[in-house]
Amino acid sequence: MDNALYVGLSRQMTLQRAIDVTANNIANVDTAGFKVESLTVQEDPETPARAPATDPINYVLDKGLARNFGQGALEQTGNPLDVAIEGQGFFTVQTADGPRYTRDGRFTLDATGRLTDKEGDPVLDAGGGQITLDPQNGQPGIGKDGTISQISLTGQTLVLGKLGVVQFSDLTALSKQGDNLYAAAGGQLPVAATGARINQGMVEKSNVQPVSEVVHLIAITRAYESVANLITQIENLSESAVQSLGKAA
Amino acid sequence: MRALATAATGMAAQEMNVEVISNNIANMNTIGYKAQRAEFQDLLYQDVVRMGSQSSDTGTIVPTGVQVGSGVKPDAVYRITTQGSLTQTSNPLDLAINGQGYFQIQLPSGETAYTRAGNFSVNNVGTIVTSDGFTVLPQITIPQNATAVTISQAGQVQVTVPGQTAPQIVGQLQLATFFNPAGLDAQGGNLFLVSGASGPAVLGIPGTTSYGTLQQGYTEASNVDAVTEITNLISAQRAYEMNSKVVTSADQMLQTNTQMKQ
Repeated sequence: MDNALYVGLSRQMTLQRAIDVTANNIANVDTAGFKVESLTVQEDPETPARAPATDPINYVLDKGLARNFGQGALEQTGNPLDVAIEGQGFFTVQTADGPRYTRDGRFTLDATGRLTDKEGDPVLDAGGGQITLDPQNGQPGIGKDGTISQISLTGQTLVLGKLGVVQFSDLTALSKQGDNLYAAAGGQLPVAATGARINQGMVEKSNVQPVSEVVHLIAITRAYESVANLITQIENLSESAVQSLGKAA
Repeated sequence: MRALATAATGMAAQEMNVEVISNNIANMNTIGYKAQRAEFQDLLYQDVVRMGSQSSDTGTIVPTGVQVGSGVKPDAVYRITTQGSLTQTSNPLDLAINGQGYFQIQLPSGETAYTRAGNFSVNNVGTIVTSDGFTVLPQITIPQNATAVTISQAGQVQVTVPGQTAPQIVGQLQLATFFNPAGLDAQGGNLFLVSGASGPAVLGIPGTTSYGTLQQGYTEASNVDAVTEITNLISAQRAYEMNSKVVTSADQMLQTNTQMKQ
């Protein structure tokens, strides 16, 4: 009978983790390029609470994090260095720890004219090089394929590079780093993205759906309460068992 | 349960968002003001189950790990340096820049500040100054007997004096551009200082490619778009409310815990 208590407890632990994930989604409702996450759970395959030949009783266990890489809405900002990816793919930035990948295309220039993200990490072009702009030339134009160009003082079009957009065969194996960056885990290498379109002057908003997150919140708290009820009932059951058996003796 | 702390980071971020939006709305009619936008990043993640880690002796690999995030942080208040619309004032010393340049202003401390607000006037000795009385660089003095001041699109300042038919050139205005104008250090009073992020000022004559041309008799209105700001305000308020719902829900779960054993 104690097993029922622990099965209930295992569910409460996963529910607590689930509300942490939902809280993080809601906190990032305005974070550019953020992708909504949800916790998936499974019956613990290793250690059953009780193992009869048929119909075993299992604990519940965190299985993994499902990340919805669906397109976020594109918001027009008119800022020439805001770029948003339409379709699958990531921008590459060079951090101190190696290349990192992001959907957040709110870029800026540093003091030497290099194109960087908001942390100052240089944005890489398709060949893995950095991109440098000249403030004396006109406003940069970024094509649908990511080609960055400026008009020079003499009226010539200077092509400065092409934003590198990469893709991964297994999106679930990307690890989040914070700062809107992903790292490639499990040794997989990025490949050039096909079919991704770059939109200048746009920012990809977070794809968190506020309504469904609030629904999750309600479902989580109610499930938590019903498990608590179950635990109380199990306890009442043991209490009345002790009382009835005590009287009989 | 970290949901409480996570929601608190969300509420703090939205609070800052509303502060930035309210500053934009307050400066809707400030000459040369550039709208700002609060930008956010997700905070660190805790790996509960690491993806790619080995899950058994036979070498099976965890395909999707469990990473729990700890909220959001403001990472920048970015200044959107797009062109503001030009408002006609007919005042001969109102100048608007149609392009990316900045005027140079000599501060009383001797430092050079930069501004887009070109609502200039002359002081008691005829020098062109800002509304605070700071000298516009390079220093240009308008003679007392001048009857008209003409400033060309290329920044040449000419005056007409009685008795002479040809206008006289009294100076040439210069503009500054930066690698990263969004990185300038705002000082209030419509003034900016150079920072490590902006890069050094590059001086040039108005009218060449990126510096922009001068429009005499116009001021540059702020580039704040009222409709955008109001919609941002609504969404910030709703996001704040949603984060408070998380606090309530997490609180409810904790309450359930305390009520489990009476």
